[in-house]
Amino acid sequence: MSLVAREVTIRFGGVIAVERMALEVSPGEIVGLIGPNGAGKTTFINCVSGTYRPHTGTVRWLGDELLGLSPSTLLRKGVARTFQNVASLHDLTVLDIAKLGASARKDRQSGGHLLDFFRSDSALERELLEQILEPLELADVAHKPIQTLSYGRRKAVDLARALAAYPQLLLLDEPVAGLTSHEGMAMAGVVRNVRDRLGCAVIMVEHKMDVVMSTCDRIVVMAAGSKIFEGLPAEVQADPEVRRVYLGEP
Amino acid sequence: MNTRHLVIAVAVALLMGALSLAFGRFGAYMVNAVAIAGIGALSLNLLIGYGGQISFAQGALLGVGAYTAGNISNAGGDGLLAILGAGVMGAIISALIGIPALRLRGLYFAIATLAAQAILEYLFKILDPITNGVSGLVIRPTTILGIPMTSDRSLVVPSLVILVIVWVAVSRLMRIDLGRSFLVLRESEIVAKGMGIDVAHAKILAFFASGFIAGLAGALAGFANRLASPEAFTLDLSADYIAMIIIGGLGTWTGPLIGAAFVVLLPEAIQRVGEAAGLSDILSPLRELAFGLLIILFLIFEPRGLTALLSRLKPRSLAVPAPGAVPATGESLPP
Ligand SMILES: Nc1ncnc2c1ncn2[C@@H]1O[C@H](COP(=O)(O)OP(=O)(O)OP(=O)(O)O)[C@@H](O)[C@H]1O
Ligand SMILES: [Mg+2]
Repeated sequence: MSLVAREVTIRFGGVIAVERMALEVSPGEIVGLIGPNGAGKTTFINCVSGTYRPHTGTVRWLGDELLGLSPSTLLRKGVARTFQNVASLHDLTVLDIAKLGASARKDRQSGGHLLDFFRSDSALERELLEQILEPLELADVAHKPIQTLSYGRRKAVDLARALAAYPQLLLLDEPVAGLTSHEGMAMAGVVRNVRDRLGCAVIMVEHKMDVVMSTCDRIVVMAAGSKIFEGLPAEVQADPEVRRVYLGEP
Repeated sequence: MNTRHLVIAVAVALLMGALSLAFGRFGAYMVNAVAIAGIGALSLNLLIGYGGQISFAQGALLGVGAYTAGNISNAGGDGLLAILGAGVMGAIISALIGIPALRLRGLYFAIATLAAQAILEYLFKILDPITNGVSGLVIRPTTILGIPMTSDRSLVVPSLVILVIVWVAVSRLMRIDLGRSFLVLRESEIVAKGMGIDVAHAKILAFFASGFIAGLAGALAGFANRLASPEAFTLDLSADYIAMIIIGGLGTWTGPLIGAAFVVLLPEAIQRVGEAAGLSDILSPLRELAFGLLIILFLIFEPRGLTALLSRLKPRSLAVPAPGAVPATGESLPP
């Protein structure tokens, strides 16, 4: 197992958002993280990606402790994430965002920005267009400001940003929420392709069960901050407890 | 390199150079003033318009540039060295001013910059050996690369050259990772952090770059006025620069220069009209009133300033748009 999270706990005032959460993912594996609203899925992703600092617990990636590292450090270590809600950033184009994602791959010193002034990035631009934007059907809008795009397209841009970092651990927070089912299936296909190509470990938070069932190798169910079940997609679907808590059956 | 921006910048500088020749000493004085204000406005637009960090200390930063350049030049250093030294000093002081921005945000940070402005003004008054106190530091005419800068006419050349370099450099900056991260920072620090941008690093570099450019503008202002005095670099000057970038268009490439020209030339125009109508006593306080009103109107109706207004006028004035013309969308960052 290359990602091993254990005993992750974080509180906000009186609310225990995540409590003694455990999760493991191997390279090349897509793990679905599902659970009712407010279960703590996003908060858990925030802990692993460095946005929140949990009170207790460990998150080890290939043996290194990730907790306490900043998102920018984590990104350079190959941990990239997407957001449940995407911001509409003024002025920046689709390609700009992809380049920002790719900048995590350049391990540079402060003076590197000065070199950037005199360096052409047309090779990177071509690579991003072919490898990332084309499969996400974003190549034709590459030079458009993202604020002109539909919500679904903006989610794709957010995924493009994360993928441009060539991550080893990819954390996806509801990548297909708000998308049409066609867009959603295309997005899920890209995630599987990327996993095949990069061999990265993927944690995918998602409510849409058809996408989860068809994309994930394994599923972890969260409720009230903790893991309540873990298994293959078929096992999860058959489990009466999961059906009660999550699918709302008596 | 964005060739379009390079061509525009050179063309504007040549036009300004021609104007300075056409209108004698006064023309040279005004062109120099616009160029210097343009450089200063570019520096503040980089910080506020692109980086989203509101600062009221840019006036004092120009002062830092003027005093630094004055001292280097008076000590016999070449004017170019003095200008670069002013840039470096401006960058360092600006980065120091930016440190509280790592903790404070928005309005709270803006108030911290007010304090920085006040502290710098105070230092200008008391650091006698380098600032010559309240009476100000007299800057003897400098020489740049051996050429004596005896008049506004000779100073116009370095001012316009630096304007072009800074203008094009800002354009380039906004197309590299650092500039792109400024734009994300401006929209939301939380998003920037989540995207893996090193927010503290980016902020300090925004202050550093902005301060460097402000230092250059301050040096040129010092050489033009032959004096660096505390009264020249007060909060009023900071406010003027904020007016320039808002009126010109926050976060646009042409805005700072348009705003600078407007803010420098408007008082002249008001005064001319006043003299002609025999009303100068009544009209001169109008300047402040006009700026205040304009800022409010622009913020409400056209946050992208004169730049956006002008680009909206364009398609209408050209009755038939050129085939394949792209609709004008405000001079922001063209892809
Ligand atoms: N920054 C915060 N401050 C206070 N409470 C928070 C914060 N972040 C999350 N919470 C709380 O933690 C709990 C878990 O929220 P979280 O967003 O992780 O749920 P989720 O599983 O992602 O839900 P959804 O499916 O609706 O996205 C909620 O009760 C939420 O109110
Ligand atoms: Mg969530």
